[in-house]
Amino acid sequence: MTYLLYVFLLGFLLTAVIGFLASWFDRKLTARLQYRIGPPLLQPLYDFLKLLEKETLIPKASSQFTFVSAPLVGLISAITVSAILWASNMDPQKTFIGDLIVVIYLFLVPSISIVLGGFASGNPLASLGASRELKLLLSYELPFILAILVAVIKSDFSLRLGEILLAQAKNGMVAVSWSGGLAMLIAVICMQGKLALVPFDTPEAETEIAHGVMIEYSGALLAAYHLMKNMMLFALPFFIIIVYLGGLKVKGLPLLYGMLEYVGLVAFLTLIRNTNPRFRTEQVLKFFWGPVTMLAAVAVGLALGDY
Amino acid sequence: MVLGQEIFHVDALALTTGACIVFFAGLTLLYSWKFALGSGGRLGYNLYLLLSLVAALGVVLTKNLVILLVCWGLSGVFLYLLIGYGTKERTPATAKKAFIIIGGTDAFMMLGVVLIGQISDSFNMGHLRLSLAEPSALFAFLCLLMGVLAKAGMVPFHTWVPDTAEDAPTPVTAFLPAAVDKVLGVYLLARMVLDLFLMTPGMNAVLLTLGAVTIASAGLMMLRQQDFKRLLAFCAISQAGYVLLGIGTGHPLGIAGGLFHMVNHAIYKSCLFFYGGAVEQRVQTTNLDRMGGLARPMPMIFTGFLIGSLAVSGIPPLNGFVSKWMIYQGIVEVGREGGGLWVLWLAVAMFGSALTLAGMMKTVHAIFLGQPGPDLPVATGHHKSTPWPLWFPPLLLTALSILFGIWAYDLPLKHLIFPILQQTPISLDIWQPTLATVLILTALGGGIMFYFLSRWSKTLRQTEVFIGGETLDAVPGMRVSGSAFYDSVQELPVYRAFFTLAGRSDPYEVSAQFVTRLCGPLKNMHSGILSTYLSWCLMGMGVLFIVLLLR
Repeated sequence: MTYLLYVFLLGFLLTAVIGFLASWFDRKLTARLQYRIGPPLLQPLYDFLKLLEKETLIPKASSQFTFVSAPLVGLISAITVSAILWASNMDPQKTFIGDLIVVIYLFLVPSISIVLGGFASGNPLASLGASRELKLLLSYELPFILAILVAVIKSDFSLRLGEILLAQAKNGMVAVSWSGGLAMLIAVICMQGKLALVPFDTPEAETEIAHGVMIEYSGALLAAYHLMKNMMLFALPFFIIIVYLGGLKVKGLPLLYGMLEYVGLVAFLTLIRNTNPRFRTEQVLKFFWGPVTMLAAVAVGLALGDY
Repeated sequence: MVLGQEIFHVDALALTTGACIVFFAGLTLLYSWKFALGSGGRLGYNLYLLLSLVAALGVVLTKNLVILLVCWGLSGVFLYLLIGYGTKERTPATAKKAFIIIGGTDAFMMLGVVLIGQISDSFNMGHLRLSLAEPSALFAFLCLLMGVLAKAGMVPFHTWVPDTAEDAPTPVTAFLPAAVDKVLGVYLLARMVLDLFLMTPGMNAVLLTLGAVTIASAGLMMLRQQDFKRLLAFCAISQAGYVLLGIGTGHPLGIAGGLFHMVNHAIYKSCLFFYGGAVEQRVQTTNLDRMGGLARPMPMIFTGFLIGSLAVSGIPPLNGFVSKWMIYQGIVEVGREGGGLWVLWLAVAMFGSALTLAGMMKTVHAIFLGQPGPDLPVATGHHKSTPWPLWFPPLLLTALSILFGIWAYDLPLKHLIFPILQQTPISLDIWQPTLATVLILTALGGGIMFYFLSRWSKTLRQTEVFIGGETLDAVPGMRVSGSAFYDSVQELPVYRAFFTLAGRSDPYEVSAQFVTRLCGPLKNMHSGILSTYLSWCLMGMGVLFIVLLLR
């Protein structure tokens, strides 16, 4: 029962609140970069509530059940992964074996839910968008795994988030080394892909395929997707903070550092997305499988050489 | 006891693999009952199925290497005969190819068995633990390994599997290459690693590298397939790579993971082939381009296929995730001992899941979701339903795949896998996915609620899809089938180079070319002209005379 409370309070409520704030920050910063004033603090929440009230359209497509469940399953997996991350951050001693692998796989589920929802809508544009989401997933997954393996090597070959945190508490952050810094940079670039932000927003590409995977979604179901994306906007940077920056300390001054790290990561994502054009699908593939994977391999090599 | 020798011996490994074999044979017999076969009698078909069950059981239950070899060979023969029940034009050629690859490697196995007999003075598979430092033992190991790779469909002897999947009847594919042949191959590999030989780190590295190559190359091949049975076959090859990877680690956790993955793989791959066969019976095609939108007429088969696809991609909390997780742990344990290659193996293994996911999602879209194919009679909704023997066996397997995922430790690991190793390599504080499962079920419940609300609620409305104001009927060219999802991947120079290499390295084609070249001069001598033959005869006689004279 306490575990359920943990999932609800930290995994869902806190993550959602921070996600909404991050989404506001992202929009505000974007507006300032474009010399606009930008939305008020609660705008993401207003948007969410408004969507909940709106009429929900369900296309007469191949599988309506898949269409309506996909956003909910995606949301649930975002909650689960946030709960696991919070649990290991709060109590590194008590994590389970190999939770790193569980987290990596759970991070795939929101993408899968978006893909399946797009597939099920029966819209050709959504199918195209979903196929692009899959190609995006194929492209960032390889360097992302290599970048995480750097942290695994640095923390004495452990696939346990708790031990990665404890090793960092003892030896200093992973990011403060040549290999760790490089790996973190790669992980942040892959995170940009995982969040499907510009320049990797091929699955949605408003100007070509009119939001692609999301094209048929409206009302409450779209609200669920937005909530999921906002939560991922917290969960993914949080994961990077845990793996490379020693986790969030929740007491005293270190909390401020942790928050600064998080805000810095979100600001970095926002800056990238506002200063770049969208890649074409094959450019995304070439970019991730080419230079990024090479760099990731270099980072792994450096880590094995103890740099 | 026969002829003063103990022939049959049942231990935990034999028990687990034997139980698997019997279980899948039963399901396949049930499934085949209503499956429309091509030519040939049903009696012969069922007989061959049962005989291959007996042969497979013979392999796993015997203690004698010679008996094992005989049963192993027989199972290849029955595979050949069963493939022959396919109705495609290429079926005979495919059966021949499978038979030659498996039979050819059997010959090497025979050599290996003889060598083991030479070294240890008996053909009993007790706890031999031959040292691989000895060249003859190493050679015997490699010979047996060839048999394992061919039977289990691993690179480089995997090429018979996709052809068989395409041209053999679907239940045969689901039974032999997808389940029992894999189980047999892995059984022998486990015997070799656990009992027959004392593994060295070098040999383990060979196994791990083979496994990684298998995962990556088959995963990449999956992306470009147009026929879903062929695609599933490449998926099966890729999964066999994980088993090789797990057993190659030499660490108890990795070996347990490999064996568990073998069981899991047999479960979901048979399941996917069974569901695929039901679809095939309904729409009379396996071409991904021509299908689409079948989730509406076949909702249950769609759900099962989707769960199977997610399980094979290793999505938690399904069974594929648990075994992959154990294999990854095993690889990291190898990493502790030094060297940098393990990073490569681990990264390839984890990336392989993404490849599998991409390939399976493409299949799910092309068969069940997206827009209905233009010439599918089934899309209209007027058709006869699928008979129960075609959906019940895979449904059972789907249930197993969920159960083995959620209660992995309590059900399969404790009772089937750990007894083989005679130890428990993981402690209890592994991930218990019960809570996550409950949450996912809640989400699905919410989905069901939403779905029924949409029938009468005012804030929910059913609409046609919006494609910029066009309709699919008016512009049918806008249909996206899914078979071309990864064209931009295929256009990459790296992928094209890989594909050319893969096309050239089929051992069957290579040896066929070699044999053709070798026989070319002999063939040319047979010109059919009498005078030429006579002059050859005279020359031969002349040589004979000279030899006899000089003696």
